Amino acid sequence: MKYPILIAIALLSATISLEAQQKAPAAGVKTAAAPPAKGYVTPKTPWGDPDIQGTWTSDDCIGTPLNRPANLGNKAFYTEQELAQREGQLARQAAADSQEFAPTDARVGTGPPSHWAERARRPCKQTSLVVDPPNGRTPDMLPEARSRHVPEGAGNNNPKADSWEDFSYYIRCISRGVTGSILPVIYGNGQQIVQGKGYVMILQEMVHEARVIPLDNRPHESSNIRSYMGDARGHWDGNTLVVETTNFLNGKNGIGLNGGGTPTTDALKLTERYTRTDPNTLQYEVTVDDPKTYVQPFKVAFPLTQEPGYENFEYACHEGNYAMFDSLSGARAQERAAAEAAKKK
Amino acid sequence: MLNRWKASIFLTAILFILIGAVPGGAQARGAPATSNIPRMLDGKPNFTGLWQALGTADWDIRDHSAAPGPFYQLGATGAMPAGQGIVDGGEIPYTQAAADKQKENYRDRLKLDPEVKCYMPGIPRANYMPFPFQIVQSQRDIAFAYEYATSNRVVNMGKFKEGAVDTWMGTSNGKWEGDTLVVDVSSLNGNSWFDRAGNFQTENTHIVERFTLADADHINYEATIDDKTIYTRPWKISTVLYRRKEKGAQLNEFKCVEFSEELIYGDLKKK
Repeated sequence: MKYPILIAIALLSATISLEAQQKAPAAGVKTAAAPPAKGYVTPKTPWGDPDIQGTWTSDDCIGTPLNRPANLGNKAFYTEQELAQREGQLARQAAADSQEFAPTDARVGTGPPSHWAERARRPCKQTSLVVDPPNGRTPDMLPEARSRHVPEGAGNNNPKADSWEDFSYYIRCISRGVTGSILPVIYGNGQQIVQGKGYVMILQEMVHEARVIPLDNRPHESSNIRSYMGDARGHWDGNTLVVETTNFLNGKNGIGLNGGGTPTTDALKLTERYTRTDPNTLQYEVTVDDPKTYVQPFKVAFPLTQEPGYENFEYACHEGNYAMFDSLSGARAQERAAAEAAKKK
Repeated sequence: MLNRWKASIFLTAILFILIGAVPGGAQARGAPATSNIPRMLDGKPNFTGLWQALGTADWDIRDHSAAPGPFYQLGATGAMPAGQGIVDGGEIPYTQAAADKQKENYRDRLKLDPEVKCYMPGIPRANYMPFPFQIVQSQRDIAFAYEYATSNRVVNMGKFKEGAVDTWMGTSNGKWEGDTLVVDVSSLNGNSWFDRAGNFQTENTHIVERFTLADADHINYEATIDDKTIYTRPWKISTVLYRRKEKGAQLNEFKCVEFSEELIYGDLKKK
């Protein structure tokens, strides 16, 4: 147990995704990613833009894998029966979360209590977050991308802690990138949208990102100005907010959960679409195009919902990054102990 | 009798309106708000835009002479420029113990200043650091995105909400007093400083900010700071926020965590 905190987080995520695949029943299920409500009219801001403001969360698709399990083939959605099973599973999870104390005979690990995590409130219809290509899986990577270094905590299962630079940009509390900041994970899935005339701001809870998106058709910044979150430009396509983001730094975050996976390049272009389909649902879609990493563009989509009482909290990540202190100082302590032991031999 | 009272209150109110003053000296410093300012459709002033303070308050919010920086290698680029402070009356009314603590803070500033470690700047410091910030004002809430450390806050314009927990950026509740946006900031965690000179606050600090558009491109900014545990009375800062008007000016990204890691974790690196 070299890295208890990281391992606890990994275990928790694994548990959640396992549970997402197993578990059980109910009927007449209300699902996430429902089709647009009939006759729904998108509200407008006083200055006439579609109004998509509010605090939205991707919680409902927590546990839905980015890549569809290969055995499901082109099956994009669960059946009504399977969804009913999932609803029952969510109900049991909610009951377990409401327990203030663990049962006396329970196995207790170093992980946080179960109520610490955010949960889906209704089952996610989708079998994967990737919706295109039809097999629901990210396209093949180019040979040069396959050999790209993936930092710790972002998909590499062989932790070492020589330096902070061995860890992912998320573990370092720098950024999870654009897709990593909205894909559903165990907590901190909030997206607060505030609109002004000429701008949309999207405030993301985890790593306290604030994306400022101008709507005035100005060109992108110079390609010499690059960043983790890129340079965003927006416009309205009917009632849909379309955001094009370029000018990313090369080789930082990947497209996976928490910005994990193979890092994308400076050629990355993201095209996001935000469409309000009923008062409490905002359908999210992003087309990922990185010609230096993937053989073809692909689409990820899932619903965001507004939930009573759900709000963003300040995620002071770097300010309280004890995991980094502990991982580095733990590794140095082990080295000292090993050196002492070697001397005694 | 009652009618005479009413009449005199009414006349006093008229008089104040005519001379453009507000009782209690709450008016923002500088020119009174004019009609020539951007407004929302409901008539409220519209603060949407990219703003930045000038001056040297980020070094020291009090009046200060030029001084050498801590590293001779940086030469003139590392030195502190002289500047007028933004504290009304010049001095911060610290208690004796707090005044001593500020001096210690200054002496150990490279170790203690949250800015050095890329921690969130808190309020009011975020507003006059040498970085721009973007305001996006909706018909309801008002969002602030600061370039430094990607810090941000949303000013709640609805029903007053207590902060659920203490935070670096605090909990901001706003209301309108005429054309002035008044923001009550509470639930601060007390770890923030006001500047690089060690001027500090605590978790008991309560701040009331006032934003008033002097014209389309200038905000008169004031903040009243109250904390009986370290100040002998409430005190006030006043400065001006300027609209960034350069062609293509926009908020950029200053994720400074990676510029602070060697400093914070350097001694834990594998040798």
